[in-house]
Amino acid sequence: MARRAASTPLNMIGAVLATCLVAATALTLTYEVTRERILEQERAAERSALQAVLPGAEQFEAADELLEPAAEAAGQVPVQAVYRGFDGSGAHAGWGVRVAPRGYGGPVTLVVGLDRDGSVLGVSIVTQNETPGLGTKILTVPGWIDQFVGWESTDIKGSAAGFDAIAGATRSSVAVRNGVTAASQVYTEVLAAESGEEEDGS
Amino acid sequence: MREWLSVFRRGLAVDNPLTVLMIGLCATLAVSTKVEGAFFMGMAVIFVLSMSSAIVSTLRSLIPEQVRIPVFIVIIASFVTIVDLTMKAFLPGVYTFLGVWIPLIVVNCVILGRAEAFAYHQPVRLALADGLGMSLGFSLVIVVLAAIRELFGSGEIVFLGIRLIAFPEWYPAPGILLLFPGAFIVFGFIIALAKWYNGRTSTRLVQTDAHCTIEEGGR
Repeated sequence: MARRAASTPLNMIGAVLATCLVAATALTLTYEVTRERILEQERAAERSALQAVLPGAEQFEAADELLEPAAEAAGQVPVQAVYRGFDGSGAHAGWGVRVAPRGYGGPVTLVVGLDRDGSVLGVSIVTQNETPGLGTKILTVPGWIDQFVGWESTDIKGSAAGFDAIAGATRSSVAVRNGVTAASQVYTEVLAAESGEEEDGS
Repeated sequence: MREWLSVFRRGLAVDNPLTVLMIGLCATLAVSTKVEGAFFMGMAVIFVLSMSSAIVSTLRSLIPEQVRIPVFIVIIASFVTIVDLTMKAFLPGVYTFLGVWIPLIVVNCVILGRAEAFAYHQPVRLALADGLGMSLGFSLVIVVLAAIRELFGSGEIVFLGIRLIAFPEWYPAPGILLLFPGAFIVFGFIIALAKWYNGRTSTRLVQTDAHCTIEEGGR
């Protein structure tokens, strides 16, 4: 059996340093190789979520300058991103808002698509960590999420009217409702003005 | 070669990390709701454990005893990060499901435990046998557990978007199997099964034990 290197300070420092250097090199290489693919996957996931909620739009552009006022308008619900959607001819087709309301098992990230008048075109859940079999019904119950389609920014105002929660998944359902409500608030307070301005300009 | 095989087999049955040593259960119970997730979790553990065992064993005479744990952790964390980045790049769906459990392989007792208890004291080929055997044993149990939970808990098994097997519509899937109590109940049955199997082959077990004692006493 080979003799073990003695635990002298020099040996210890040398061993840890050498291991860390080799590890760092290996990780840098892996990172370089996978970086492009990872970015691509993230963009593709974001794009397909946006496309699902804004059927008419083909191009999306992050509107980062609106993020801060949007976050203020949404109050308790964190707003993660605001997108402008453009249709095939380059005309402004609507808005995509990514919000992360609190569900039962952490934030439920959803993308809400709104047309230029602020009515909801579609809602898509991007990530969630709800209880399997109960909270995840917000994903699996067919057609449930479509009840939000057509909600107008004017008739929500935080009320639960016309809102149908899933039995056994109340908190997860309410999370989705809160997300849609927050997106509508963002529209009323920030995006409505933006939609108008663009119309004047064009 | 016989020695290699006997070390390899221990991880699969008599020293199975999940049913006998009972380490690394946290991640196991959490990700075994879907066969797909469990399968790739098993793949990740196979890669990380066999690579880290081989490297730790190769470098064992160069790693001073007092800093062995930090060195092990850096080695293991590197392989886990490689798995993490690769999975994020090529299997985004599976990565979303496994989430935090992939980075948490770093602190999975199976891997650090095998580096500390076996690979640090044994030649490379045996360390590799141990790493492969242990991780295959881990994967086997986690996939069986997930198959039972997914099939009976949700009525179907879906693997990478393909439906492998499904119960008819009228099957009332008991959601409890997908929750934590279900994990414990099913896992209990699997432990019983493993105990029965290992007990049945106990004569072979004594032989392998004696064999390994001589091996370990030789250093």
